Parts: sequence; C-alpha cells; structure tokens
Amino acid sequence: MSDATPMPASAWRRRFLTPIARQRTAMVGLAILAVYVVGALLAPWIASHDPTAQDLMAALQGPSAQHWLGTDSFGQDLYSRLLYGARLALVIGFASVALGLVVGVAIGLAAGLIGGRTEWLLMRITDGLLAFPELILAMAFMAVLGLGTENLVYALALSFVGPFARMTRSDVLQVKSQPYIEAARLMGVPTAAVIWRHVLPNVVSPILVQGGMRVSIAILLESGLSFLGIGVVPPTPDWGLMIAEGRAFITMAPWISGVPGLALAILLVALNLVGDGLRDAFDPSTQRE
Amino acid sequence: MERQTVFTLLDVERTYELGKAGWFGKSRGRLKALDGVRLELRRGDSLALVGESGSGKSTLVRIMLGLEPASDGRVLYGQHDLGQLDPAARKRFAREVAFIYQNARGSMNPRLRIADILAEPIRLHRLRPEAEMTGRVAELLARVGLPAEMAERFPNELSGGQIRRVAIARALAAEPQVIMADESVAGLDVSVQAQVLNLLRDLCREGGITLVFITHDLGVASYLCERIAVLYLGRIVEQGPTGAILGNPRHPYTRGLMQAFPKFGAPLTAPLKGEIPSPVNLPQGCRFAGRCPEARDACRETDPVLAEQAGRQVACHFPLEVAQ
Ligand SMILES: Nc1ncnc2c1ncn2[C@@H]1O[C@H](COP(=O)(O)OP(=O)(O)OP(=O)(O)O)[C@@H](O)[C@H]1O
Ligand SMILES: [Mg+2]
Repeated sequence: MSDATPMPASAWRRRFLTPIARQRTAMVGLAILAVYVVGALLAPWIASHDPTAQDLMAALQGPSAQHWLGTDSFGQDLYSRLLYGARLALVIGFASVALGLVVGVAIGLAAGLIGGRTEWLLMRITDGLLAFPELILAMAFMAVLGLGTENLVYALALSFVGPFARMTRSDVLQVKSQPYIEAARLMGVPTAAVIWRHVLPNVVSPILVQGGMRVSIAILLESGLSFLGIGVVPPTPDWGLMIAEGRAFITMAPWISGVPGLALAILLVALNLVGDGLRDAFDPSTQRE
Repeated sequence: MERQTVFTLLDVERTYELGKAGWFGKSRGRLKALDGVRLELRRGDSLALVGESGSGKSTLVRIMLGLEPASDGRVLYGQHDLGQLDPAARKRFAREVAFIYQNARGSMNPRLRIADILAEPIRLHRLRPEAEMTGRVAELLARVGLPAEMAERFPNELSGGQIRRVAIARALAAEPQVIMADESVAGLDVSVQAQVLNLLRDLCREGGITLVFITHDLGVASYLCERIAVLYLGRIVEQGPTGAILGNPRHPYTRGLMQAFPKFGAPLTAPLKGEIPSPVNLPQGCRFAGRCPEARDACRETDPVLAEQAGRQVACHFPLEVAQ
C-alpha cells in the first residue's frame, strides 16, 4: 500500500527517509538485513554446492576448504544450505506477513468503515482467530493443509489475519472520529475519497510498522514449525529443518545446528532492530505533535 | 426589497442523553444543550453568537450545518428541511456553506500538505482549472497573511495562529455564500486578528457573504456583526442589532456580560453572583433568575418567552429600561 497522495521528492524524503535515517540502531539492523538479502539473492552464484546434493562420503565434516561451514549427516554442504535457507526464510517471512496483512487490513477496513452487523460478524471471526496463540493456530492449519512451503505461507498468513484485522479496525474507528473526517464530509467530499485520502493514509503507517515487526515472528514460527517437522519438507534447505537435523549430532558435530541457529538468531535481532526503529520513526505516539 | 432567507430555525431543541453506554447503560438524565431556539438568517446577514462557555453556541452552529440532528423543531435551508435535502441539494449546501472549526488543527488531515488541504474544496467543486491551482493557493494564503511557502508544509509544522488562518483560507477556498466560524480569531495576535477581522468584514460588506460568528469577545462581535444573539443555557435571551443591544442591553444577562467585557482573551463570564444552574436540571421559571439582580417572584414561576420589543427580541418579564 502506498500513501494516497502524490508527494514531491523533498516531502517524501522529509516524511520517510529522514525519520528512518535518524534511528541509529535501525540502520545497524538494516545493514545486517541487507547482508542476508544479498546472500539470499545471490545464492545461486555464490553457493559452492547444490544445497540438496548428498555426498555420504563427506558426511559430518567440520569446516574445511571444500566445505566452508562443514557438512551435515547426509554430506550436504552447510554453507550452500545456509544461503538457500536465508532465501526461504525471507520469502516465507515476507510473503506470509504480506498476505496476512492484505487480508487482515481488508477485514479491519470493512469492519471499521461499514459497521453494524458486518462489523459484528467480522470481529467475531477475528476474535476466533485471536483466541489461539499464533504457533498453535499455524500448527492446526498445517495439520489440515499438509506439509509444504506454500502451505506454510498460508498457515502463517492466517495466523496473522487476526492481529492485523483488529488493529486496522481500531485505527479506522479512531481516525473516523477525527474532526478532519467530519470536515471533509461537510465539504462534500464523496465517501470513497474520504476513505482514500483521509482515512487510509492515517492508518497505514502503524500497520506497516506492525508488518515490519511481524516478519521476524513469521520467520521464527516458520523455523519452529519446520523444526517440529510440520513445516517444509526435507531436503528443502530450511534453517529449522537443519537445526532439527543436527540435534542428534550436537556433541560430535555442533556446527550442523549451530550454523543455522546463529544465522537465525542474528537475522531475528536485525529484524527486531529495524521494526523498533520503524515504530519509533512512524508511530504517532512517539512522534512529536 | 426583502432579502432572501438562508436559514430558518423553528423551535430547535437538542437534548443529549447522558451516561448512556451500550444497550443496557442507565441514562443519568437529559441535557438540554438547546431549548427552543428561533432564528432567521437572511442573505448578507452577519450574526454574532455570544454567551458563556457551555451556553450552546457550538451546538447551535453544528445543527445549522446538519452535523447533528435537532431533537425537536425544524431547520430550513432556504425553503427546504435540512435533514431531507436530496443529493444534488446536499452537494450545493456543501459548496455554499463553509465552516471554520473551533479546533482548527483537528479539522485538517495531518497527512496532507497545506496546498492539498486548500486545493481540496477547489478541486471538489471544480472552481478552478488544475493549472491555476498553485496560484490560487498562494492567493488564499496571502489573503490570510501567510507566505506562499507555507503551502509546502504539513499542519503539524505550523503554529496555532497560522493553522487558524489556514482554516479560514480553506473556508474561503470554496467561495461560499455562508461562513460559520467558531471562535476563529481567539488567541491570534492583535495585529493578525485585526487583519482577519478586516478580511471577514470586507467579505460580508462587499462580498455579500452571510456570516455566523461565535465569539467570546463582544468587541469583535460589535466590529464584525450587524446582529447579535446572546445565548444563556441553550436559549437565546436577547437578539437584535449589535449596536442597539450592546449600547442598551435590555436583558440583565446581556448587561452582566458587558460588565465582563474588558477582559481580553479570557472566556466570557458574567460577573454575577449565584450558580449557573445545571443544564440537566433546569429550574422552573426563568433560567437566569438565580443569578439575576432584578429577579422578582414572577421570574421564578414562569419561563419568559422571546418577545419582540422595539426592534429586538428579549426573553425577560421585566426588561431593563432603555437609557436615554
Ligand atoms: N456530545 C455531547 N454530549 C453531551 N453533552 C454535550 C455534547 N456536546 C455538547 N454538550 C453539552 O451541551 C452544552 C452546550 O455545549 P456547546 O459546545 O454548544 O457550548 P459552547 O457554547 O460552544 O461552549 P464553548 O464556548 O466552551 O465552546 C454544554 O453543556 C455541553 O456540555
Ligand atoms: Mg464551542
């Protein structure tokens, strides 16, 4: 979603770039995130091996010139799997949040704008979704949908619909009661334009901030589900799977779980830094009035 | 020639149910914010609404704008009931009547630049071609004494006085026939206030605009408006030509307000003894009797109606003598 009004470059810079750039820790997080993104994008070129190529002769090897980060029990190259795993984690994280955001925001907008019975019904559905913790909800959906990357995205997205819907609705209700909405109506601005020009731009930034913060939750959930064996299917290069796989060899080959575990931890920290920075930069409650 | 009627209010009442939350909430009583208001506004009129805080000035204006329904009575715009305008007439009403909010900052979308805020009514009613928009915005800003660079700013980058002037500029942008303003010059510097008042005065005197102006400054009221209506607890107690009324108040409440007059900028309060009765629990008889230095027994028994008295209307059993 973009801001509804076209803005000249200078205003854009003042409203979006400068506030973010002012958040030092967010910039650190963004830099780390950039490394992951580049690694994920360039995976086909910078990976040294096929991530799913097994070589049982070379299983359980420590880091070496041949296998920079060692190999797992099937002899798959950990460095290559790590790169492709980053790709998968980022794709699943962003895709599931984007999907959950679109559906949740649509529900929240409809509920907040239409009101009445529609609102009641939509909010009861949302309450139903919100009654379960995200992990439990995603697990339940995976059990219904079956394993696989695509299904994992749907399951995670579904677990995010509730929070986005509720948040959007409350923001819409709050904005709807502002005098500038009444003023616009009084001037005769048609309803569609009131929503597009006056309501949406005022609810969009907290939603995007929430979205940014949820990407890290999505990646954590994704790895968790795969770790539990109800996420993506082996031998897909996935960090959760890799950690689970290395568990049995944790004493003799700690790098098998350690490498993806560390990669995951650093990515989550970076995403949280970015999320906090976004919030501080754009959340109206922390902004000067 | 009789000038055209713009607004007619026939015994308008507005009651608020207090403390009712949800379906099962118990009502803590009904508050009469407006109680039997009769008013007629003709084209070119300028009317000042004065009264203490809570007397119902904003409520009256909001009802005339159709922002709130009247609980009882009728509001006519031209010949038609305000609540039953067809879509075309609604649209015309939206263009012809502009409102300047008491809370100017709150009435502007914080995500729009001033240029877009001012252009909105122009684009909406297709008053100017897009090519002339920048020029028109600059012109509007200049009329309220703001530099053209302000157009690039966002509302939260403007001071309180500047944002009030933008609110006035936005009302002018629609090229309306009626302007209603709620405390629009309060808190402005004296020089800026004078500029804005002169602008509004010119619009009325030369532009033929109809103005309803809420103010707590009787000096502003007498400078700007030819007519004045004094509100007390939701009722008009005295109404007529500003000069005559402020020169010779006939309602004791108007006189009380005038004794408070020289206080600059502070909310208007009549320096009278006695409590203002709660609007939830109005006394029998005249609602002003408890504070009125002239009150007699009859005042505590029957509620006086607004009656025509020598060119003005007064709601008092024993109006003050006209000093000669
Ligand atoms: N939404 C509402 N619910 C309940 N009571 C209300 C509501 N709006 C206004 N009132 C009451 O109606 C009365 C008149 O309010 P109004 O805002 O018209 O006063 P005012 O003359 O504009 O005062 P001020 O000079 O302070 O702006 C007040 O007693 C107020 O408390
Ligand atoms: Mg008011």
